[in-house]
Amino acid sequence: MDFEVTYTEEQQRFRREVRAWLEANVPASVQRIPLSPEDNYQRYLELRALGRTLGAKGWLYATAPAKYGGGGLDVDHAIILEEEVDRFDLSLPPYYDSGGRLGSASILVWGTEEQRQALLPSIYKGEVRTWQLLTEPGAGSDLAGVRMTTAVRDGDDYVINGQKIFVGSDNGTDRIWMIVNTDPKGKRHENLSWFMIDANLPGITVRPMELMGTGGEGGTDSGVKQTVFFDDVRVPAFALVGGENKGWKVATTHLELEHGGGGRIGRNRVWDRLLRYCQETKRDGVPLSQQQDIRDSLADIYIKTEVQRLFGVRNFWLTYARKPKSYEGPQLSYYRKTTGLWMTGAILEAVGPAALTTDTIWGSAGGFLETQQRNGIVSVHPGGTTDIQRVQMARRIGIGRSTREAAGTVHGGDA
Amino acid sequence: MDLALTESQEMLRTAARTFMEREAPVDVVVGLQKAESSLEPGLWRKAAKLGWLGILIPTEYGGSGDRLSDAAVLYEELGRGPLPGPFFSSGVLGALTVLEGATEDQRRRLLPGIASGERVLTVAITEPNASWGPAGITLAPQGKNGGYTLNGTKLFVSDATSATDLVVAVRTGEGTNDVSLLHVDARAPGVTTRRLPGFLSWQCEVSFDNVEVERAALLGEAQRGWAALAKALERAVPLLCAYIVGGCQAVYEKSVVYTQTRVQFGVPIGRFQRVQDHVVRLVNHLDSARWTTWEALWKLDTGRPATASVHMAKAVASEAYLEACNAAHEVHAGMGVLIEYGLAAHTQMSRTLFHFLGDPRWHKRRMADALEW
Repeated sequence: MDFEVTYTEEQQRFRREVRAWLEANVPASVQRIPLSPEDNYQRYLELRALGRTLGAKGWLYATAPAKYGGGGLDVDHAIILEEEVDRFDLSLPPYYDSGGRLGSASILVWGTEEQRQALLPSIYKGEVRTWQLLTEPGAGSDLAGVRMTTAVRDGDDYVINGQKIFVGSDNGTDRIWMIVNTDPKGKRHENLSWFMIDANLPGITVRPMELMGTGGEGGTDSGVKQTVFFDDVRVPAFALVGGENKGWKVATTHLELEHGGGGRIGRNRVWDRLLRYCQETKRDGVPLSQQQDIRDSLADIYIKTEVQRLFGVRNFWLTYARKPKSYEGPQLSYYRKTTGLWMTGAILEAVGPAALTTDTIWGSAGGFLETQQRNGIVSVHPGGTTDIQRVQMARRIGIGRSTREAAGTVHGGDA
Repeated sequence: MDLALTESQEMLRTAARTFMEREAPVDVVVGLQKAESSLEPGLWRKAAKLGWLGILIPTEYGGSGDRLSDAAVLYEELGRGPLPGPFFSSGVLGALTVLEGATEDQRRRLLPGIASGERVLTVAITEPNASWGPAGITLAPQGKNGGYTLNGTKLFVSDATSATDLVVAVRTGEGTNDVSLLHVDARAPGVTTRRLPGFLSWQCEVSFDNVEVERAALLGEAQRGWAALAKALERAVPLLCAYIVGGCQAVYEKSVVYTQTRVQFGVPIGRFQRVQDHVVRLVNHLDSARWTTWEALWKLDTGRPATASVHMAKAVASEAYLEACNAAHEVHAGMGVLIEYGLAAHTQMSRTLFHFLGDPRWHKRRMADALEW
């Protein structure tokens, strides 16, 4: 076994090139925690600009096929990029783009050649940001139960009506990747369809939801969510991906990736800050990190972050080495979510009330721990609740149903 | 990056699994549970013949000098039994302690016998205080006629009732680390070994009653014993973890099959989400132990600093085995506590290994020290 990428001379040169480029092109300002809504929007614009320059180099979606505008790079180069971007506390893409990530992967597997050519380059080049729209007021964990949002064929178009909730992030979107019901009388799993549409069409209204989370552009997670209403929104039939009423198979690809099947390489940003805070902060004259009970808590927290990292590395390898997967995707998701939730208590106990305030004088770790206190709870549901992850694991293990369920296909459209 | 086993590791895995299925199926493992000695001579000879006892011993001393990660493949398979016997005690911890602590002459005298299985050498570290640190070593030999006389007790010594040789950690100075290692014939007059009764597997009491050993029995140099032992332990612990991973894997597979076949309320019990939760908890512990263990092995084999990873692996694996067995018992209910079913052998082993070579809390604290928090 080899847990690390062994870099060739060429790859090490690539790392130096990436590092130098990032140091010259990532504005120091994007690493701030925004102070106001205007500041937040300003930072978003800076991240989008960074995304476009990364996209122009093929570094935004590094492993995506070059013929559709992706980087066409192999996994080792992609790891180098992820690691180098991570040094700036950013991920790829550097803003919330879940519809771009999961939608493009789904289009690669299930889209037509024309759709790939038309829809993928603008995602891979960072020209558009895409939100995913799945959940409805009546269909959350039970995605197959989507029925409130419908699309009806009308000539060369479809007409969409309905409502989606828990959508996106702050700062609006360019495109929408959504699942709708196209046969209200049809059988379960045979009545859904996916669309990739323009977010600025007439009839689309976006209204913010007030939630407990924070962090409008937090990479894959975003604490800020919207309600999106569709009122006779007319979209071209070309926007239908995977075929009418064939949406469930597309969903298996989308969900496999969303449930952690793709894996992740990177450090735990909360951990680094938590340790530093505990080393620098004294209570009763002794640094927190030198107090045995807190040290014991830190060890427990560290081990969970390490196990989570190892599960992520394993899934990353399984994906890119094209090895068969079973329960590993939802396992990572389950572990990440339950660990995050558990950590809210562990950190609160170790750090005390300073973990709960963003105050610039008395808060801890630049407000980062306060964000964890909220988002560790919020993160339990998006992309499938902890219970749904366990249901998925049981099916993949082969005990939840009479036949073992396979992991969703995540490979398509050879580079 | 490549998290697959190598081709030769796959071959070793297949050979070991075939051996285990043929030579050590559940009834054999269950049958051995009450034996005073963990060593079953027929099994031991066959394993020796396959080269498994010398897998870590360099070729110049009669072994095959394989990497830790190769040996880990074997130990995972042995752990699936869980196969009793001083495989780890002698072939791993014993061999590595001699390798790290002994003089060249002593290595030549001891290691070939360990590799061939004629010598069974176990290391006696802990005492009634049950500490795994150097401070816990209080047994102090008296100097006599240029040799040593031992009086006292070593406790929780693994597989001592099947040992021919002991390496005994003794206190020879005031400083915490002033520990020396003595090589003692396990059958010498005054040495008695006794398997401790109860819910633990072949952890033994070793008593020394005026046991006289020659000066030449000192392994390597005086006062260097703890340093040697610490080095040996760092390499040995991940293999104990691999044995534990194999145990967790077997417990997991048993549980999956049981949930698929046991029918209650008209359906296999795996359909019930309450039951699924136990299996999910189990596999999460299994995988936590597996990947922390294998990363530690990889670091050791490639010469990377591994101390913190080794401590983490043992902390995670100890907890994992205990929790995996707990979850399996919740799945199996009454069937799980039937001795002949085989789960109980794992459960008892999980409790035994929870503490052996350091419990989770102890390893977490050493991990924090190694990370210099």
